[in-house]
Amino acid sequence: MKPFLEQWNPTVKAATVLVCVILLSVQYLVSLNLAVFGLCVALLLAGSRCGLRRLAALLLPAGMAALGLFFMGLYYARGGAADTAALDTVSALPYAVRAAMSRNLYTALQLATRLLAYAGLGMLFALSTSGEFFIASLLHQCHLPPRFAYGILAAFHLMPGMVREFRQVRLAFAVRGLHVHALSLKPIFTMLVNSVRWSESVAMAMESKGFCGDAPRSYYTVPRVRAYDLAASAAAVGGLVLGMLFLRY
Amino acid sequence: MDSAPALSMRDVVFRYLEQGKRNILDHVDLDIPAGRVTVLMGAGGCGKSTLAAVAAGLYPENGGFLAGGQIRWFGTDLAAMDPQQRARQVGMLFQNPDLQFCMDTLRGEMRFCMENLCLDAAAMDPRIEAAAAELGVQALLDRPLHTLSGGEKQRAALACLYVMECRCLLLDECFANLDRDAARALMEMLRRMHREGRTIIAIDHQPALWLDTADEFILLREGGRVAARGLHRGNLPQHRALFAELGLFYPDPPPPYAPKAETGAAILRFEDVSIAQGEEKQKRGLFRRAAAPAPLLLDRAQAQFPKGAMTAVLGPSGCGKTTTFLAVLRRHAWAGRITLDGADLAGIRRRELYRQVGIVFQNPANQFITQNVTEEVMASLRVWQPGWPEEACRAEAERRLEEYGLSRYRRYSPYMLSQGQQRRLAVLSVLCGGQKLLLLDEPTYGQDARSVHAIMAQLRGKVDAGGLSVIFITHDRALAAAWADKIYWLRGQKLEPARAGEAL
Repeated sequence: MKPFLEQWNPTVKAATVLVCVILLSVQYLVSLNLAVFGLCVALLLAGSRCGLRRLAALLLPAGMAALGLFFMGLYYARGGAADTAALDTVSALPYAVRAAMSRNLYTALQLATRLLAYAGLGMLFALSTSGEFFIASLLHQCHLPPRFAYGILAAFHLMPGMVREFRQVRLAFAVRGLHVHALSLKPIFTMLVNSVRWSESVAMAMESKGFCGDAPRSYYTVPRVRAYDLAASAAAVGGLVLGMLFLRY
Repeated sequence: MDSAPALSMRDVVFRYLEQGKRNILDHVDLDIPAGRVTVLMGAGGCGKSTLAAVAAGLYPENGGFLAGGQIRWFGTDLAAMDPQQRARQVGMLFQNPDLQFCMDTLRGEMRFCMENLCLDAAAMDPRIEAAAAELGVQALLDRPLHTLSGGEKQRAALACLYVMECRCLLLDECFANLDRDAARALMEMLRRMHREGRTIIAIDHQPALWLDTADEFILLREGGRVAARGLHRGNLPQHRALFAELGLFYPDPPPPYAPKAETGAAILRFEDVSIAQGEEKQKRGLFRRAAAPAPLLLDRAQAQFPKGAMTAVLGPSGCGKTTTFLAVLRRHAWAGRITLDGADLAGIRRRELYRQVGIVFQNPANQFITQNVTEEVMASLRVWQPGWPEEACRAEAERRLEEYGLSRYRRYSPYMLSQGQQRRLAVLSVLCGGQKLLLLDEPTYGQDARSVHAIMAQLRGKVDAGGLSVIFITHDRALAAAWADKIYWLRGQKLEPARAGEAL
């Protein structure tokens, strides 16, 4: 039995996350942002198989970005330096403290927490959805053409092989005496040639296994939208709207 | 059994460009009987892979132009079938095991195949279990496909064809890069499917593998036309001359291994060398668990690769041959002492090292850095011979291309050459700095007898002329026996020299 977040229909989940993001972008409540972020992390830990370690590894860059945004908002909001009116009155205090006391503090918090809330929502979707389930759901709920859906899946599953090949191309270049650094274009060109060849081969292999973009096909599992999925979406969006109506800061 | 042949091709003409002059398949007439094992052999570039793709209906749909002819499978016209119907008649197994899956596990792939055939969802699981039990691939069902070895991938791909119940299996050099054990396991599966009444049509370079299994060998010449058919184990010796004429491997038992007397000097020496499996660098980040100690590929191994000679390293796939090469290139950690021509490898800077050691990988196309054959050689000359004027580089490049028999391709893109030519070009450009040691990773991959011979003979000449030593890793014992002055086995985490007269 999969944990509940992973069972949530991916298409419905994606739509819910999208609606929440749009709603969050029209409000300025620090408390609501923090609540959304906290709830996302809690839900991920309770309702998916992603470990604390993986979550933390992703939160680290998000946290750093939020911190950066916070200080930027603190010092440079409203057209330049911190609010001068607030600074003149207590000139004995260090600049940072004076800045923190000004109204800029609230602006900075708004910006930083909003970023955290977005990160939380994004992770909520990304860490609890398997690629295959998402594609299957897009096939059935959004009527994505099978040619497209299985093409994406095949490309996705080629990734480990491509990473291996890329490493080898770089090594081959290095042994030939070329300096290859992280951004060298030559290995990428070789990979491009490879990718064209590979995509042709994979497409032919799929066709020889009877795959045909437009022919009818059966499905082993058909993801469905159940009452459970919609209830979860309603709860999420409803909760957010309530928060927007009743929270003050 | 119905009387119609499994595959019947009548006057098939196929070329890559509609306006092109050269027909890849030139008026091919071929009948292959149902229920038998037929092996098609032909030199590289004779159009046999194209023939398979055209027969399976993959061309011209995915490229090329079918100028005429008729193809029937079990009496039904190919043109009248859609991919779904074709898949019930014929399933294809390809040369590159990495490029035939769409899903991430064998179970998922089998489901995908049956979905393609519109089978009922409820029927799928029992069918998968039955097939896996019958073919002995239960252990592969739920492992991520990218973690399987080449042999396991080929068995997985064959299991998919089994589950689809294709009437005929069309194999396009599916043994090309499998070691002996993996090839045997795959062959065993094929025999079982043959016993159940399936037709098998195989394209292969190596007849030796098929001697016990094939009912008939068909030799093809240029244009995919039949040069001889009706060959089988009994009458093969009568056609020996034709094998030579077409540049094909004749299934001789490998010559007994006769090591050359060693002069004593070693180009490369391993003393107590241990190498662990694993990535290039063991990452141990803030959020990663400390890696468990990786299993050892080499454990305090000793070896001495003679100078001015060709040495082969034999061993099954995955035993660590390539990783050992990476260590020699200072791209993988090792413990112990490796010396290159007397100097400790650990003390040589990479850039200086690559002036002395070159490598040609399995897929030579991965090491091309330009889009023109002459440029390719000149690029290497510029790196290793700084200060040479442009004209000297060009003259030298053309001289070398001439020497390797590639001068008529000098205006081509390296990607347009055949596999054998690509490998020769790779060797040639890698040796531009006067490297004294060349490492070759599986030099036979996807090539016929003639081009393997061409490259090995070329290297033999270079080695005998002095100044170059070659180490090649391979799973092909016949190749090692035919060309190596010294053979090492990589087994049991040691490098053991093969004994004189040892049956390979």
